[in-house]
Amino acid sequence: MTRRRRWTPVLLLAGVLLIQPGCGYNELQGLDEETNAAWSEVLNQYQRRADLIPNLVEVVKGYAAHERETLESVIQARAQVAGLKLTPEAIKDPAAFEKFQTAQQELSSALTRLMVVVEKYPDLKANENFRDLQSQLEGTENRIAVARKRYIDKVAEYNKAVRFFPTNLTAKYLLHLDVKPNFTVADEKAVAKPPEVKF
Amino acid sequence: MRLRERQRTSPGEIIRTSALCLTLALTCLFASPSFGLEVPPLTGRIVDRAGLLPPDVASTLSAELEAHEAKTGNQVALLTLPSLEGEPLEDFSHRVATTWKLGWKGTDNGVLLLVVMRERKVRIEVGYGLEGVLTDARASRIIRNEIIPRFRAGAFPDGITAGLRAIIGTLEGTYTAPARPPAPQAPAASSALLTLALAVLVGTAIGLLLSTRRHSARGLLGSVFSFSIAQSTGLLLGVLAALATFGLILWLVTLPPSRHRRARSGFDFDWGPPVAFGGDAIGSAGDIGFSGGGGDFGGGGASGDW
Repeated sequence: MTRRRRWTPVLLLAGVLLIQPGCGYNELQGLDEETNAAWSEVLNQYQRRADLIPNLVEVVKGYAAHERETLESVIQARAQVAGLKLTPEAIKDPAAFEKFQTAQQELSSALTRLMVVVEKYPDLKANENFRDLQSQLEGTENRIAVARKRYIDKVAEYNKAVRFFPTNLTAKYLLHLDVKPNFTVADEKAVAKPPEVKF
Repeated sequence: MRLRERQRTSPGEIIRTSALCLTLALTCLFASPSFGLEVPPLTGRIVDRAGLLPPDVASTLSAELEAHEAKTGNQVALLTLPSLEGEPLEDFSHRVATTWKLGWKGTDNGVLLLVVMRERKVRIEVGYGLEGVLTDARASRIIRNEIIPRFRAGAFPDGITAGLRAIIGTLEGTYTAPARPPAPQAPAASSALLTLALAVLVGTAIGLLLSTRRHSARGLLGSVFSFSIAQSTGLLLGVLAALATFGLILWLVTLPPSRHRRARSGFDFDWGPPVAFGGDAIGSAGDIGFSGGGGDFGGGGASGDW
């Protein structure tokens, strides 16, 4: 009896030390949730861009119907993107993440090509409806950039907590959390390649 | 089992982690973040760094923006700059808006109009909460139809005035903001104090109930618990809670064992530290001049050039 009594405080102490904030349990859980939220915002903004495309294609078609190739590539890239629905659970897989990033990148470059082609059609450029859509597209691209940056920062913070001592012990043995994949610098190949200029 | 595993892995982990820390620290040292352009301080609703506005126009606009905030709660501000010094317009604009924290926390109802002279660029940065009213398309139309034509004619004060009035008009068309949310510091401080008081109480109770007869052991156990509980609000508060509990337990234990008195003195002690902290928290919550309310921006808005 006395023996048990003597051990009770020690056990309690050990329990408290294990769950106390210093070991990062709450911090890790919070960061995990925050990265998920940041990822949802990224998806949300990409979705917003995908939703703009049908209208944009319609308007451009009205003025520049024979730019079929460019329009087709936009529609195709959008279909590719629509096929990928990444939940916060799925992004733990680096391969799926990579695929998502590539698909979005292709849509971005298809849209860029479309916007370059559009320059040849002054009537289209003067169309108020097209200008509205163009500004929405620009705004959405900008929102994507912001959402991506926030996700990058949040994942960096989360990955640091997963790797640093002593929170890495909690992450590894208690919560079984692993580092999350992050965006790479917008597709190195595309950045390294100089833009094509044709006359 | 888990504990043993922890002990086995920790020495290697420590070495690896310290190496990592060192590398990171060195990397940080050499690759110090180069934020090209500094965000100017928020000195008022009109921050005219490029010197575009005559004083009377500036004060009229400032009064109009103030009236708009009084009516709707939206915070609209203007920044003019001589140059971006190579930084992308959208990046800088977003940085200014999030640094100034225009709009209120939770409603995110701020708008920034940014005019840069050398690059000849304009941007309207719209807070999360106003994206539905001042949409990208509407912001873009304001820039295209109100601001750019006047800027092209060299009438900068006119263009800015027309732009700001169009922004206000768009916002007032449909939008009514909820009442001002309270300043963000107050709830945080009071919850910290609550945790502190709770930590001392619980720590004392546990220390008295569970430990052996020796006074110091009781005190130590109690303070460890208080420390653990209060640490979630910060290291300083944790240490304070631990010290308070230790002192409280020693004091209670040395008193003649009368239950009545013990309970009362416990309550007496309890409100001791909060008063000192409360004074501090209230003192820091001052509101002088114009300042951002904590609004956030997600990159909405439009840009244009002339």
